[in-house]
Amino acid sequence: MMLLVMLLLIGCGDQRVLEKLGFTQTTSYDLDPNTEESSDDEKQGQQKLLISVTIPRTRTENSRELITATAYTSKEAKIKLSSQTELTIVSGQLRNTLFGLSLAKQGIWEHIDTLVRDSSISPRVKVTIVNGSAHELLSKDYSQHNRTGKYLDRMLEKEAISQTVPEITLYRFTRDFLDDGIDAVAPIIKQLDEHVSIDGIALFQGDRYVTKVEPDDTLIFAFLRGRFKNGEMSVDMSEVGRINEHIMFSSMISKRKIKIKTTSEGQHYHADISINVRGSVLEYTGKLSLDNVEHQKQIEKLIAEYIKLKTEEMVAMMQKNNVDSIGLGKYVRNKLSYEEWKNLDWRRIYPNIEVTCNVNVRIKDFGKFVNIEQ
Amino acid sequence: MREKLHPFHIAILIYMTQSGVVIFSLPRVLAQHMGYNGWIALTVFYVIVALNISLISLAYRLADGKSIFQIIEHFFPKIAVIPLYIFLLTLWMMIGCISAKRYIIIYQIFVFPTTHPMLIKILVDTLAFLLIIKGIYNISKAATVFFWLVIWTILLLLFFLHDFQWINLTSFYFHESSDIVTGSFRIFTAFLGYELILLLFPYAEKRKGVMKAVHIGNLLTFLTYILVCLVCYGFYSFDQLKRMKFPMLDLLAYIEFPFVERIENLIFSLYLFTSLIGIVMYCWSALEAAQRILPKANVKWLAAIIMAVAYVVSWVPTVLVEVDAWLQYLGQIEIGVAFGLPLMLLLFLLLQKRRDEPYIDYNEPS
Repeated sequence: MMLLVMLLLIGCGDQRVLEKLGFTQTTSYDLDPNTEESSDDEKQGQQKLLISVTIPRTRTENSRELITATAYTSKEAKIKLSSQTELTIVSGQLRNTLFGLSLAKQGIWEHIDTLVRDSSISPRVKVTIVNGSAHELLSKDYSQHNRTGKYLDRMLEKEAISQTVPEITLYRFTRDFLDDGIDAVAPIIKQLDEHVSIDGIALFQGDRYVTKVEPDDTLIFAFLRGRFKNGEMSVDMSEVGRINEHIMFSSMISKRKIKIKTTSEGQHYHADISINVRGSVLEYTGKLSLDNVEHQKQIEKLIAEYIKLKTEEMVAMMQKNNVDSIGLGKYVRNKLSYEEWKNLDWRRIYPNIEVTCNVNVRIKDFGKFVNIEQ
Repeated sequence: MREKLHPFHIAILIYMTQSGVVIFSLPRVLAQHMGYNGWIALTVFYVIVALNISLISLAYRLADGKSIFQIIEHFFPKIAVIPLYIFLLTLWMMIGCISAKRYIIIYQIFVFPTTHPMLIKILVDTLAFLLIIKGIYNISKAATVFFWLVIWTILLLLFFLHDFQWINLTSFYFHESSDIVTGSFRIFTAFLGYELILLLFPYAEKRKGVMKAVHIGNLLTFLTYILVCLVCYGFYSFDQLKRMKFPMLDLLAYIEFPFVERIENLIFSLYLFTSLIGIVMYCWSALEAAQRILPKANVKWLAAIIMAVAYVVSWVPTVLVEVDAWLQYLGQIEIGVAFGLPLMLLLFLLLQKRRDEPYIDYNEPS
């Protein structure tokens, strides 16, 4: 009996009382603005970080606790943060990490590494870049929305479903960062007066932010990045020679295939990206008729032409910035033997490879209403 | 009449003894030592194990239901074989207790990080003790129940179809492999447990299916391992996989249902059962050896003493690296036993046959 009681008491060794815990929901990382603009001497040394966490509180619907600390490492910051609250800070419910742009330009791997190491942090925690200061974005309350952490989290999730931004989690970021055939990406957001809005997709080289895809072009990026379903795109036909015509292409299902051809001289690669899109058109303003079969074919062609133009433009932009965000390297790697790949300086080769995009568009339907031609 | 083990239970018992917490780190170990597409190497290990089992089954046929101890003692006076028994006893006991410790230390990375591991070990050891004293038939019944509790987790792999990319497997084979010899031993230890069938000879039903059951158990282990490893190789990028301590736990952590997420803690607790059977089977084998040395001793007390000694020994290694090193060392010895013991038995059995029936052609399989 004594033994039994003792055995059962073992369970009391490590207590976690829910009321005494502070579940961080969002963490932001920035370079400390006070040291950011300091002299060059200091810049060479380690820079201080400004780290904030939000902890949802239950007093009212939108109440939350925001605490901030400056430190050299994120774990040091955790201790400093902890000394500012009566709660024990735990990261089991962490949903989102925000990185300020200035920090992202310097590299975020060491912070990601800390997060990946911690067994209490889920690999599904989102990685998000903030165009501006992550701390400022996080510390503000947006009166029309939920508490900021939840608002951001839900918005990113929703946007990921409609393909506006890729859903980038710790797992995905780490996977692409550590793969030598692809570069990581992350959604980028910015603060407006009363809202937060998607500001495109941040493209990384290694762990450093290099450039971004503009918010209007994020769907074009989705075509290149892989297969997806459920997207919506507005096609401005003036890009393909038809002024003042617009098409809304929705309910898209897109598949992407990449084929690499090597030319006989070696080290010359040609990437063929074929994109297959199916979707419906419900809105069109222009001279063609949605109900004419001939015109329908023409519309399909125009959309295909538009996507081809845009995707090739985007690939050229990525090559110019030397970021292989769509993972062409993976496909080249599979064409080569191990020695060839290791001897290949992919970063050097990548900007000069030829890429063509072949787009095939099929429009499934044109809605449930027909205009009878008089 | 004493109940005998049905082949079905034997298959499950072997599977449960073989698989344990190793599976959580196995994909990484493969990536480290076997390099790109290292999961394919598992096939080689499977074949080696299958050959070893065939060797054992040869001994089983010749033994005709006699225990290995009877066979050995037929040749040597008991006093001469006691050192061998003590060696086996110690080895099996140590494997049992150190693998228990390993489970607990890994468990503590996630839950109860500051509780003393030996306190948790009391709990696991108590469970193991209670099973051991019930005898092998009840152990196998418990193993069958635990089996159903655990085996469905394989279905969770379906969850990863979405993020699984064949392209992540790359077209390289076994490049960037390192320390293949050490690595092979490490990977082989993941399959250990099947050799304990040697001790089950007198407890199994005298049917043809017994050895087939061992093969099936081993096949099941192999299939589980290769599925998990394949998914890991396709889900993670190679460098990422190499750096993950417990890739399978990260896999589980990635699973999200509309009603629950972060289920890795729950699932890891379920794996206590597979580990427990491993621990129990090794300690039970140690007990069998001990009973042979002291046939008149009370079984329960003997079991209690073995568990107590095992408990004390497992105080010594305190961190995961130490535990891994110990287990590695013990595993290598056990691999030797897995091959050496059946060979030795075969030799004895053939000699015995020659002595008993001198005119039969021994090359003919009986």
